[in-house]
Amino acid sequence: MIIIAPFAQKLRTGALNPKNYPLTYWKQLVEMIDEPIIQVGVEGEEQLVDNFVKNMSLPRLREMLQECRTWIGVDSFFQHLAWDEGKQGIVLWGPSDPLIFGHHENINLLKDRSHLVPNQFIWWEATPHSNDRFVEPQIVLEHLRK
Amino acid sequence: MSKVLCSVATRGRYHTTLPLVLNAIINQTKPVDRLIIFDDNDEPQDMRKEMIYSYFFQMLDLKAIKWEWRYAGKKGQHHIHQQANDIAVNEGYEWVWRCDDDAIPEPNVLRSLYLHALSNVGAIGGAVLTPPNIFENVNSTGKIDHIDSEPNIQWSPIPMVREVEHLHCTFLYRAGVHNFNTGLSRVAHREETLFTYGLHQKGYKVLAVPNATTWHMKNPQGGIRSETNAELYTHDEQIFRNYLACRDKTIVVLNCGMGDHIVFSHILPQLKDPMVFTCYPDIIPGKSIGEAKQLFGDIDNWSIYKWMAHRKWTDSLEDAFRGMYL
Repeated sequence: MIIIAPFAQKLRTGALNPKNYPLTYWKQLVEMIDEPIIQVGVEGEEQLVDNFVKNMSLPRLREMLQECRTWIGVDSFFQHLAWDEGKQGIVLWGPSDPLIFGHHENINLLKDRSHLVPNQFIWWEATPHSNDRFVEPQIVLEHLRK
Repeated sequence: MSKVLCSVATRGRYHTTLPLVLNAIINQTKPVDRLIIFDDNDEPQDMRKEMIYSYFFQMLDLKAIKWEWRYAGKKGQHHIHQQANDIAVNEGYEWVWRCDDDAIPEPNVLRSLYLHALSNVGAIGGAVLTPPNIFENVNSTGKIDHIDSEPNIQWSPIPMVREVEHLHCTFLYRAGVHNFNTGLSRVAHREETLFTYGLHQKGYKVLAVPNATTWHMKNPQGGIRSETNAELYTHDEQIFRNYLACRDKTIVVLNCGMGDHIVFSHILPQLKDPMVFTCYPDIIPGKSIGEAKQLFGDIDNWSIYKWMAHRKWTDSLEDAFRGMYL
């Protein structure tokens, strides 16, 4: 079983969080994965697979992490929680820097450092979302199958 | 050689001590690299029309000293000095010389202070003497524990370099290490003490040094603290006392995201006697952020993101927490 945590925290402006992996890419990716997938997240997020569990408690999320083979997420609290649990996964990076906010134990997929925003410490509301910043689903799949 | 930004906060002293202060700054034997005058007057004027000021501005230009006259927000001098602190960090000034608008430095003051601006030093101040009152032979220690029982060490002649824990006014400080407490009221009572003691708590030396005398021409007219509301002083004094009461603890304020809390949890066991304020008590148990604000006024000094931004941080978040708290 694979867990996906597709979305970073919603922005106060309502705009798309620039750290979110593009929705079209997520849809392609889940189509290509031939293992059971559980999506975790919160109410109001788009459902990408049949099994979407919302608003889970931290202890339950930790249990699920122990039960899964691996996980795929973005730069959100989930990647830190999984690191805390010692469960390796794949993090899909865009404008934020994995050398600062990531954990080397994970597979950190960053398309190119030129896509990082120059100031990593401002509110993300100031950064527009761009699909161009992210690796394509095929690359994620290759790492998932390794 | 690292650059020095000089900031002067002024209110109500256009035609009394401010011209003396500016003249003294312009004629330092070690010139400042930039001068910013923060005008906090209720009715600010365009001083380019005043002959003396016009000459000052021309002298600054001839000496190739960048200068700027900024109209401040009337929120108190702690906000002004924090603005100077931020400008220094963002524009590459390692040191800030904060000057008051009624304290006239002798020509050698900046040179003498700067002599001690070493990598382990956070702030340096000289004597600030107020005629006719000079405290002779008081032998102040400059320790925070003695703050209620001894005059500030800067109020007397300083015969030799002394390591202290706080300074009172007109000092040179390292930019970007510590923030002025903008949670204080507009009278900003104790702001200099809290700021310099904060540098001391972060492991930087705070020095009182000789041969750097500033003359404080105390003037009942104007002044950045002309506010007399006793409640504001009481508010600020309480914040100061709260800091003192917690000084032996490691105060941790986690005003950040869930993920940041999880990363911080790996640092927590290494902290000495932590007192934790948290957004997510289910991840890191502790008191609320609201309580931290109530106790300490401003909690920006514990913002891990500001801390990283000031340092143009490129290492991991975990190492940033380590650098901030260990």
